[in-house]
Formats: sequence, structure tokens, C-alpha cells
Amino acid sequence: MSRKKGSLDLKQEVMDSGACANCGLCAGLCPYIKAAGERVALVHPCGLEEGNCYRLCPRTSTDWEQMDKRVFGRERVDHVLGNHREIVFARSLQMDAAEKGQYGGVVSALAAFLLEQGRVSGAVLAGGPAGEAPRAVVATNRDEVLACAGSRYSASPTLSAVHRAVKEGINSLAVVGRPCQVLALRKMQGLEDGPGYPPAVDKVEFVIGLFCFWSLETGIYDLLNRKAGGQRILKVDIPQDFLTITTASGSANIPVDEVRPLIRPACRLCFDPTSEFADVSVGSTEYDPRWNTLIVRSAKGKEIVDAARARGIIETRAYPEERLPLLYQAVRNKKLRVLQALESGQGAGYLQLTGQYREALQRERGMNQ
Amino acid sequence: MSFLSLLVNEPGRSVLMTGNEAVARGAIEAGIGYASSYPGSPTAEILGNLGRLAGDYHFYAEWSVNEKVALEGAAAASFAGLRSICIMKPNGVNVALDSLASISQSGIKAGLVLVVGDDPAGHSSTNEEDSRYLEKLAHMPILEPSTPREAKEMTLAAFELSEKIKLPVALRCVTRVCHASGNVTVGEIAGVNRKPAIGKNERFITVKFLHALQEAKLNQVRRMADAWPFNRYAGPENAKTLVITAGASFMYAREAVKELGLEGEVGILKLGISWPLPEKTLLGRLKTAEKAVFIEEVEPFIEENVMHLAAQHMMDLYPLQFYGQKSGHVAGPSGPGIGEMNPEIVAMALAAVCGVNYSPPPGCDESVKKLVPKVPQRDLAFCAGCPHRASFWAVKSALALDGRDGVVLGDIGCYTMGVGRTGFNLLQTVHAMGSGVGMACGLGKLADYGFNQPVVAMVGDSTFYHAAIPALVNARYNKSSFLLVVLDNETTAMTGHQPHPGMGKNAMGEEVVRMPVESVAEGLGIPVSVHDPYDVEGTTELVFHLLQSEGTKVLVLRRACALIAAKGTKKPRVYVDQELCIGDSCGCNRFCNQTFSCTANIWDVKNNKAVIDEVVCNRCQVCVSLCPRGAIKVEGGEQIG
Repeated sequence: MSRKKGSLDLKQEVMDSGACANCGLCAGLCPYIKAAGERVALVHPCGLEEGNCYRLCPRTSTDWEQMDKRVFGRERVDHVLGNHREIVFARSLQMDAAEKGQYGGVVSALAAFLLEQGRVSGAVLAGGPAGEAPRAVVATNRDEVLACAGSRYSASPTLSAVHRAVKEGINSLAVVGRPCQVLALRKMQGLEDGPGYPPAVDKVEFVIGLFCFWSLETGIYDLLNRKAGGQRILKVDIPQDFLTITTASGSANIPVDEVRPLIRPACRLCFDPTSEFADVSVGSTEYDPRWNTLIVRSAKGKEIVDAARARGIIETRAYPEERLPLLYQAVRNKKLRVLQALESGQGAGYLQLTGQYREALQRERGMNQ
Repeated sequence: MSFLSLLVNEPGRSVLMTGNEAVARGAIEAGIGYASSYPGSPTAEILGNLGRLAGDYHFYAEWSVNEKVALEGAAAASFAGLRSICIMKPNGVNVALDSLASISQSGIKAGLVLVVGDDPAGHSSTNEEDSRYLEKLAHMPILEPSTPREAKEMTLAAFELSEKIKLPVALRCVTRVCHASGNVTVGEIAGVNRKPAIGKNERFITVKFLHALQEAKLNQVRRMADAWPFNRYAGPENAKTLVITAGASFMYAREAVKELGLEGEVGILKLGISWPLPEKTLLGRLKTAEKAVFIEEVEPFIEENVMHLAAQHMMDLYPLQFYGQKSGHVAGPSGPGIGEMNPEIVAMALAAVCGVNYSPPPGCDESVKKLVPKVPQRDLAFCAGCPHRASFWAVKSALALDGRDGVVLGDIGCYTMGVGRTGFNLLQTVHAMGSGVGMACGLGKLADYGFNQPVVAMVGDSTFYHAAIPALVNARYNKSSFLLVVLDNETTAMTGHQPHPGMGKNAMGEEVVRMPVESVAEGLGIPVSVHDPYDVEGTTELVFHLLQSEGTKVLVLRRACALIAAKGTKKPRVYVDQELCIGDSCGCNRFCNQTFSCTANIWDVKNNKAVIDEVVCNRCQVCVSLCPRGAIKVEGGEQIG
């Protein structure tokens, strides 16, 4: 059996190697790992050989199939999109969420719904002005959720706020996160009780995962603000081949190729663009800006979505037949690219996949194309 | 023994005083009109006392921003006809030297006495320095008292000497004289009735042709030195072994000779003036001696000068052997010329020179020796609740987050301890007042040559005014890129909470205009932020963000010195809720006790949980925000944040 690992291993294998996804969950877990701006660092050696910081990191060894069993109680059938009960188009029926939110405003609507229903007492989100690096926000009411509406395109370590919120007495949390963050939360929930057992383990009630094919370095904000010519940026979007910024006086397009050099290298090794272990996953449709793609994954996810639909919080419609293969294609291509990169020795080898899984991913290739 | 002893107006009465109080008393008896100083150990109390008494005796006293300015002010008062005294530590002489050398050359009018408190072994100094070399360089007579009594009397005599020869005179004290207490016979406090003025034709100009006059003045002192009343000889006439000593070392020499039972054999010549030397006195004694032993602190100043003198008179003195630091006979545990003297070191040296047996007293018995290893090791540490601890933790965190191996340049003050564990070993350079900022100027210009580490300089508030401002002007002028963190605890903490220009109070207790650090920085056009270091998370983030941009930046971390804050209003109780602290199950590895290591965060060994030493705790509440379990609680009083 291999040696038990801790913060110094985390620093060496993940932080210093550039593999860190900046989820932020290790920051605030203990007083030795901190987050600021878009960086996470071990600020002082804790002196302990092993630690949960290493175990819950989404970029340390992760048995993907084991995660399926633990989170959903079953193996996956769909090796591209993971476990799911529904794949639909969805949008908020509440004007404020729909207007402020990205596309259909489903994330804001569901987070606010969970708070209003008392299912959770706080929601961890990325917030702050659109033209700046986002900061972690613990929203406790609808207005605070809506203040965070809109997509962020850099990898803010917002999960550090999970520990902060629990320390401040919030005992039931919804978390909105990128796929790496969802994985970190699920790994945390799988920790065995013992020294350093995080109090947050049983406080995360609902996880809303985002689609994320890559995120950008913080240098993006200099670029955006330069392009905005000093005006306040109201919204950022990446509809197709352009990154669009909206200011009071209009909008400007930046070709994606200009942005591409700012993609975080760690994101190129991410195997999960759709938050496979979330209760529900939400992304764009790349088709109709008034709607989101919604993947309902867990039983709890289904329950909440059903309730939200029943109460007129959101509405859903069938995923257009002709669009589905495009979604599969995009996700599969990303996964195959990452597998190839990982096999060529890049990254710390966090992904533990069986040969069968790999074969299935290849096999299903033809099926949905 | 308090400053009240300085008020006793009964000439002839013997009063217990410290050496520092005795100097202050001497200055008052001498009728000073002007006193100035920058606080420095071991002489900080002199001006502290003079400031309190300035009103009563109608003289002016100030805490100056640095020693150079202090000296210049005192010199000007001398030019105007007022006796003036200027007090500093040896590092201060380094700072003031440029002016000192010039003032000595231009000459003065009324007596100007420079009191220097050397700190052998550096009890409260970053370095150990023998200021006599600098005073000699500045062509000043150097007087060395051995006791508080002499300190007072020599202060009076120093003014007379200075006035007679028109040179500034150095009164060189050491820590053991400054801090020791002894009986001092007080004299009359003369009413001062002088009207300061500079005559129309008076000139005080430093010009090279005055060098000759300067040397002539010193020669005049040289002739007077033999009659200097504070030189003293004890021992047999024509002693074969002659101890030559001065200052506190004289006391050790006297004790050692007695301890060895060599009173009938060894003579002790105590010099009350160590520069220029009382040559006739020395030559007279050396003529009959065969062995000369030098006992002095710190470096072989008298030894070198006497050997030089002896070389000029070699034929008269032969045979004569020299023993001291040069020969290696007089040496403390760290070697010759390093650290303080004590009777034991002197006795060992004399025993070797005189060929008698001596074994040092055992010091302590066996039972005590057994206890010694059980005494817990204690690091030098910031006080409980010290804002510097929080500042250092935040800066360290920010630098780790930044990830570019930022370099931290230290400076002189309490926060110098940041080189050690209490400051998380953060400081990478420590030199002189303000030097970290000057060094930051240099590093901050190296980006074009491949230096890609961010640069942080850390100075205290008093140090900022003392010497950081010229460096800051330089930085802005030359576009240097670094972050200056000013640890503003609203006082000159290290030397005993003396006021400074940011505080709105002066040495005489008057309300004066405040010049906050941020106003100075803003005035220079440098972007400045002010933050409370007790907000560790906010400070970390702020420092992190400041490190991400180019240019000279100033961050003031302002929070009153915990020792001052603790004296104020009723503070809440800070305690560990042991129901919430889960001890070693936490995974924090006893963060409060082992890592943040505030001296009040101790460990309850019985329950294996954290606990707060409420006697030591200064109620800062920083640990409350840092405990990952939220197990540290606050009860009652006004809460912070």
C-alpha cells in the first residue's frame, strides 16, 4: 500500500505542478491552505504527514466508477454524459432570474428556490462585478443569489467559502460549482471520519454543477477591461466563436482565438465538462440563448426540479433531437482529448479509469454521432 | 528611584538613581537649554525624563525623528549659546556621524554633550558596536563613567570641558551604567538665565583649514587629560601588573583583583577619559609595570591606543608585555572583543597573566543544574496580541499565494523579531533604520534584468519617519517597484512607547499636529492603503492584490501596540470552548499553539485541547478568527471587527 499523503504531497503533485483546478475546497479546510484572487496555496507546512486536503482534491487520484457508485448508487450507462435522469432545455419563469442570469437563468432560479423553500440556509456562489475576478459569496436569500447571476469565465476558488459558511453556523448549503468543484465536494463527502474530518461534509445538501469546457486565467480581466475602454462591464458571454462583453454603451466581440492563450493549463486535463457528479448540471444550449441545458442526475436533483416545475419556478422542454448528438460530440471529443493527453504522461494521473470504461467511451462514439 | 529623584533640590543629599536618571540630573544641574534624542536602548529614559521636566526647568526637549536631526538641533542651540545635550545609541552615532564630524570641525559655542549608550552584548540592540571609534573619528573627547554617581558628575564636567575647548564631547555610557542604580550626590539646580542668540559676526562653518584647529583643540584636551578628576589609580605604587580599564569594566576589574587576592600586587588604572589618553599618567604607570592588562568593552579601543602610545616610548617602557583582547587573554565565551565583560572573565585573564590558580565559582549547585533542561525553551517572541504577529502571518500567506518567492526586507524595531519563528522566519534582510526600504528600491529596479520576485519591505511607524522617507522619495523618483508595509502600532514600541510624528504628541506632552504615514506617502504621490492587521483574511487579500501590480506602493497596517491597547477600556474575555475544540482530531495540528504561536495560546495537556492563558492574553481576538473550528470565543466587553 502506498504511503499516506498530505499537504506537502498536495503542494508538490497538484499546486506546484500546475494541475490545480482552483476549486478552493482545500483552502479553509485548515489554517494552512489559503485562497486569494485566483490562487490557492499552502502558506505554511502543517507538520502532518497525511491530510484530507489531499484526499478531497479533484486532481489527486480519483476512481471515476467508484464515484458513480457512491454518488448515484449505480454504474453509469452513458459514458459520455454520466448518470442522468433527464436531459432537457430549461429556463426560469421568474423574470428577474431570467434577465440577470446567463441564458435561461436556471442556476439562479434553482438556488433561490432552494433557499426560499428552506431546503438550504445558504448558497455558495461566484459573485462580484462581471469585469473582475469573481469572489466567493454565501447567499442567504433570493436577492443575494440574483446579485451573483451571470456566468464567470475564470476559475475562482469559491469553495473555500463552504468551510467559512459552516464555521459561521450555516448548516445546510447549496453549492454552485464548476465540474472540478463538484468532484471535490463529492470526494469530501466520501471521506471517512477521523482526524481532520471537515464539519462541512454533511452540510452540503444540494450541488448545482455547471458546464465548463475550460476557464481562463485572471489575465482575462485586463484584456476585457482594455476592450471595454474603461467602461463598466455588465455582462460577459461566449456565444460561439466570440467572447462578448456588454457595457452601458453597447457590446464588443473578442475573437475566441485571442482568449485561447489565457485558458488555464489545468483545464486542458479536465475529464468532466458537464459536472457529472452534481445533483443537476446546467449549461448553455449553444442554440437558443433564452434556454439552458439542464441535466437532472440524482434522485434529489429530480425531486427539486420537479418541485420547481410544479411551482412555476422553471419550465422545461424536450431537448431538440437534432441537437443532442452535438452535445455528445462536444463532450466526448473533450474526454478523448484529455485521455490522450493523460496517456501521454501529462498531468498527475488523477484519473483512475478501467479499460472497460475507456472502451465504452470509444464504443458509444458511433452510437450518438 | 523615579523621575521624582530628579526634582530633589537639596544640594549634598544622596539620592538613588539609575545611570540614565543621573545623566538627566547632571544635564539639569548644568543648566541645559536644549535636549534632543531619538529613542534607543539603553539610553531611551534620559530624554523621556528630560521631556517631563523641561517645563519645570525651562528648557526645550524633543524626540527628534532621527539622530542626525537631533544632533543638528542641539548643535544649533549650542551656536545660540544654550548648553545642549543629545542622546543616542551607537547606531544613532552612525546616522549622525556626517553632521557630528562637521560640527566638531566648525566648532561650537555653549557646551554640547553627546550621550551615547553603547550596548555590549546587544541586550536590546540588533548589533554590538563600540561607538568610541566613531567619536574618535569625529575628533571628540570621550568620557566614560563607571557608576551612576560618576555619570551625573561627568555630565556636568563634560559641559565645562566642551565649552572650554569648543568641541562636542562624548559621554560614553554602557548598558550596565545606564540601567544600574546607585547613590548620586545631587548638586544645585542652577537657574538658567541665558538669552539664546547668534552674534552677527559669529560663524560655524565646516571648512578644511579648520582641521588644524580641531587637532589643536584635541591636543589641548590631551594635556588636560592627566588632570581629569575621574581618572583613578588603586593598588601598590610601582605595581608590576597594571590593569588599564574604563567604564563598567573598572567595577569588574576591581572585583576580580579582590577575588584573586591580588590587591597588593596588581594596580588598577581607571581612565575617566578614554580619548585623548592621559598620556603622562599612563606612561608613568607603565614605566614601572612589566605587564599591562586591558579590560574594556567592547573592542580593544584603549588597548590599541595605549599600545600605540607605548610604541612611541618603547625604550622607556621596556620590558613590558601587553595582555588583552589582542593577545587573546581577555575574552568572553564568544571570543575577544565580543560581548560583555564580567568579573569572572577578568579573573580568568588576571589569573593566567599573574600565574595564580583560579577556578570560577560553580555558579549553581547540582540540584539546580538538573532543573535547567526541564525549563522550557523560549523563543524571542512578539507579545501576546501583538499586531505584528497578525501582519507577518498575513504577509506570509499573501506571498505564498502569490507564489513567486517574494522577498521580504526587514528593518529595525520590535518586528525585527520577524527573522525568527514568531514572525514565521519571514524577514530575509535586516540592517539599519530604513535600510530595508532602500534595499527594496534596488531590488525593485531589477525586473529588466531578470529579477522576477515581488519585493516587500516592512518597517515600523517610527522607523518610517526616521529613515524610510528618503528611500521612498527615491523609489518614486526612480520608478522602483515594491510594496512598503508600514507596521503602524501608533508608538515607538521597542524602546518604551515614545511618541513620534504620527501620534499628535511630543516629548513634552504637548498636543501637536499628526502626520499620519498615509499623508506622507500620499504627499509623495504614492498609492497608499490602510488596513487593520487584526483582519488577517482581509489583510492577506489586500497584500496579495497589491503584489499583483507594478510601482511603488505603501500599505499601512494600523493597530495599536497590544501593550498599550491592553491598558485601555475593559476588554472582553477570550477563551477556548473546549466542547468545540477537538484537539489533535482537528487536523490543524494545534495551529493556535504551535504555528500562530501567540504566547497566550497554550495547550491544556490534561484535556489535550487548546486553552488561553488569560493572564497573558491581551484580548486581541485574532485567534478567534483563525481557529478552523470556531472554538475560540469572546465574552463581554467590546468586540473587535
